[in-house]
Amino acid sequence: MLESNELARFEAAVLPHLDAAYTLARYLTRNDHDAEDVVQDACVRALKYFNTFRGEQGTSARAWLLTIVRNTAYSWHKGHRTDALTTEFDETEHSHAVADADPDAKETLGRALERLAPEFREVIVLRELQGLSYKEISDVAGVPVGTVMSRLSRARTHLQRALRKED
Amino acid sequence: MTPAHPSFEAQLDAYLDGELASTDARELEAHVAQCAECARFREGRLALRAAIAAEVPAFQASDVLRGRVRAALKNTARPSGLNLLAWWRPLALAASFVVVALGSWSLAWQRAAGAALADDVLSSHIRSLMPGHLTDVVSSDQHTVKPWFNGKLDYSPPVHDFAAQGFPLVGGRLDYLDGRTVAVLTYGRRQHFINVFLWPRARGPSGGPNTRDHQGYHLLHWTTPDYAYWVASDLGTAELRDFVRLVQRADSAETGGGG
Repeated sequence: MLESNELARFEAAVLPHLDAAYTLARYLTRNDHDAEDVVQDACVRALKYFNTFRGEQGTSARAWLLTIVRNTAYSWHKGHRTDALTTEFDETEHSHAVADADPDAKETLGRALERLAPEFREVIVLRELQGLSYKEISDVAGVPVGTVMSRLSRARTHLQRALRKED
Repeated sequence: MTPAHPSFEAQLDAYLDGELASTDARELEAHVAQCAECARFREGRLALRAAIAAEVPAFQASDVLRGRVRAALKNTARPSGLNLLAWWRPLALAASFVVVALGSWSLAWQRAAGAALADDVLSSHIRSLMPGHLTDVVSSDQHTVKPWFNGKLDYSPPVHDFAAQGFPLVGGRLDYLDGRTVAVLTYGRRQHFINVFLWPRARGPSGGPNTRDHQGYHLLHWTTPDYAYWVASDLGTAELRDFVRLVQRADSAETGGGG
């Protein structure tokens, strides 16, 4: 049957990138329960729009899936949550890139990353953890390569400051 | 040189990432080789990269999640057709014949936005039939179901039980449709379930019901002055229309409207 063929092709193209999808979702939502919901939602969405992916050239299945995961995580927070995460997701690039540190918590790099505004957090995850090219990151985040470049640089400088505090 | 200038730092990062065009890269390389500050910058970045590799984990999708995803994909692919959007074009053509044949049915089905929403309603209906997804609050008592929505929605949906007419209320749940959280009421009829989706709309004229059949499921959509309604079920069309008339009558009795 055509449909089960289609599902098999989708699974072969997309499921190898489930770890990457979960990692991005985990860092964007900052908890595993939400991350799993986001990944499941994103995969169902991806299946529905699989025909649009095959039409595009030069996009890797991984970057394509990560784009959907990212957008799902952002809209999921807008749609389902009214807590503090929402406001952070609404932050623009011109606001503070970093939330205030909890003075009692021991500073770690992981914690510093979690406190970065999501648009900075995601470029670190996509570049350092998943090794995407600037161009791929620009596709995933929907911003120009120049913006990726400057966000990545600013994010690294923030993290380096945290690293110095850690020592 | 001034590494404090952000665009220079960003270029230096791009250079270290191997992302700079080769001519720019050569220029920067020559500079970095004889600039102490840039050398320190590079040291700092290398240390950060090592620290991230050591301390910031990439996660693995659990087997539970993999299983969930596979099940959800199978569920999406099987009963509703793999891609409802792709299905839509031939269906729209077919629908145009249906509209001609049935005369009184509205042309609303041909609107793309309505089509996407119909897809979402149908997906939600099918999802709800998975074990444990049908209801968030299980009760045949409208006075239990209605207050359950308090605080979960920015409106209080009208809830009626039609057990006396053979359509007992089973419960309610929340869903996300058309860019908002909406109330869903579930009714039973023998072994069939009927999902009623409703949400407030900008006041406008009543219309419908319009019907769409897809792979054994029926969708009905209508509007009252206050609410947009969608009904999804695999129940036979005649019985479903009886049910819709009950809902419409109860709604207009409650709001005092004529629709």
